[in-house]
Amino acid sequence: MSNTLLDSRAAAARCLAKIVNGSSLSQQLPLLEQQVAEKDRSLYRQLCYGVLRFYPKLNGIAKLLIQKPLKGKDHDVLMLVLIGIYQLSEMRIPDHAAVSTTVNATKSLKKHWAKGFVNGVLRQWQRNEQDLLTKLTVAEAQSHPQWLHDELVKAWPAEASSIESVNNQHPPMCLRVNHQHSSTADYLQQLAAHGIDAGRCDFADQGIRLTNAVSVEQLPNFSAGWVSVQDEAPQLSAALMALAPGQRVLDACCAPGGKTCHMLELQPQLKQLIALDVDHQRLQKVEQNLERLQLKASLTHGDASEPLTWWDNQPFDRILLDAPCSATGVIRRNPDIKLHRQHSDIAQLAKLQRKILNALWLTLKPNGRLVYATCSVLPDENEIIVGDFCEQQKDAKHIVIDAPWGIARPYGRQLLPQNEGHDGFYYAVIEKKP
Amino acid sequence: MTILQILEFPDPRLRTIAKTVDTVDESIRTLLDDMLVTMYDASGIGLAATQINIHQRIVVIDVSETGDQPQVFINPEIIILDGPDHEYEEGCLSVPGFHETVSRPEKIIVKALDRDGNPFELQPEGLLAVCIQHEVDHLNGKLFVDHISQLKRKRIRAKLEKQHKQLV
Repeated sequence: MSNTLLDSRAAAARCLAKIVNGSSLSQQLPLLEQQVAEKDRSLYRQLCYGVLRFYPKLNGIAKLLIQKPLKGKDHDVLMLVLIGIYQLSEMRIPDHAAVSTTVNATKSLKKHWAKGFVNGVLRQWQRNEQDLLTKLTVAEAQSHPQWLHDELVKAWPAEASSIESVNNQHPPMCLRVNHQHSSTADYLQQLAAHGIDAGRCDFADQGIRLTNAVSVEQLPNFSAGWVSVQDEAPQLSAALMALAPGQRVLDACCAPGGKTCHMLELQPQLKQLIALDVDHQRLQKVEQNLERLQLKASLTHGDASEPLTWWDNQPFDRILLDAPCSATGVIRRNPDIKLHRQHSDIAQLAKLQRKILNALWLTLKPNGRLVYATCSVLPDENEIIVGDFCEQQKDAKHIVIDAPWGIARPYGRQLLPQNEGHDGFYYAVIEKKP
Repeated sequence: MTILQILEFPDPRLRTIAKTVDTVDESIRTLLDDMLVTMYDASGIGLAATQINIHQRIVVIDVSETGDQPQVFINPEIIILDGPDHEYEEGCLSVPGFHETVSRPEKIIVKALDRDGNPFELQPEGLLAVCIQHEVDHLNGKLFVDHISQLKRKRIRAKLEKQHKQLV
């Protein structure tokens, strides 16, 4: 087998073309990376992430510049155009270098015919940049799909533009210190001793935010389980659970297991923690995380919306329901959401969220507590779900979260993504009346 | 060590089904070394004996960045595990200049003999998993172009035939 190395721009164009056609970033990115020379890989990643972050804007510009749409099989050429415009408008690569390297990448893609085309489109952008920018819609200019822009403006009229600008930024890398091994302060010292610049997170007790991302191998005692990579927002869940020794806890939809491990780190004397997920492969990831941190949970494969298929009829003292959601709070980490999420998904997800919440409620003990969480910023998946539930379910009592983070809503608290801060997230606490 | 000539598609000899190696002796070890230098010389990451017109079940691979981690597989057998397929843009030393996306099982187990004839087993990941399946295909007379559309295969065939004529 031969493995001809691809130029970083050509590889990024291919990767992006696959993503535009429905594949996910997490699946495609590592695959094509193997065909890029090691020294070019950081540029390759930067181009893939960057173009996805600005996709609605770049695609809007390309539509103005390209009269005749390209065929499906030439989506790699279209992506090369987007890569070119991205470099010219968002990156610090000298213009002439950005244009010539991008034009040359047509050869690597074996699309020699496209050389003049890509060159022409990029030159046209350079000549008419200001004029073209005025022709974009507001949503395009903010690099968001129209439906999402509309939803954000409707839900958060004052904050929408700041949410959108954070969504277009590079997220910080955050860690969760395992207090079984070390305090947050001690681990910060270890990081400093290794020359890694970092500080405490704003709200999460075990949270550390790195000034610059590093690979996990560089983190002191990572493989020994001293620390995990996790954003600050999901780290806030463990405290809301009010865990105590002897409790039986369910972590529903647990994969990849960050919150599962966090709960076990904070309260090692639980009677049992059932870590449930519907996806076999993702459960393996949970298993790996537990193993690295030397923690024990009862991994269970099952559908949270159908407890009869996996539940042993022993009620839970605590349930963490991190429900499947639109992930609109973590767009900066998963920028392909801008391409793949459709408006119609929201109603579908809300239906599933209601179904799971109703189903799990039956497995909760009287006086037990359920924490409902999502990484969505849309009220339809958050306060509306919890509000409707609490009004319909006679034995449900909404508990107001008293916390310094997020925004208090009629039901629960909403975290909006912050520049150099936490991701977008939502929490609500519900208790079962005795 | 000798650099051997690599057969090119559509050479019918690439369709030969290779025979099991009975004993791993000195002649096999010499062949392994020749195959490795041939592979490195062609900037390949894997080579099956079939490609150098030796029809024994032998594969050499090196998927490392640095090209210093050779692996050999004698009488390799692949067991496909449950899981999704995985797409990779494959190329082949016997189909020079062409790359096409091929979909193969992502999770497999490989059983083979090493250069001393000792059996071993491994669960390869990523590119290694792709490469082993690609090479074992060769031992069964199969090429990556058999995994793509007939139209594309015919086009590649025509282009390579034309190149071969020009060389003669």
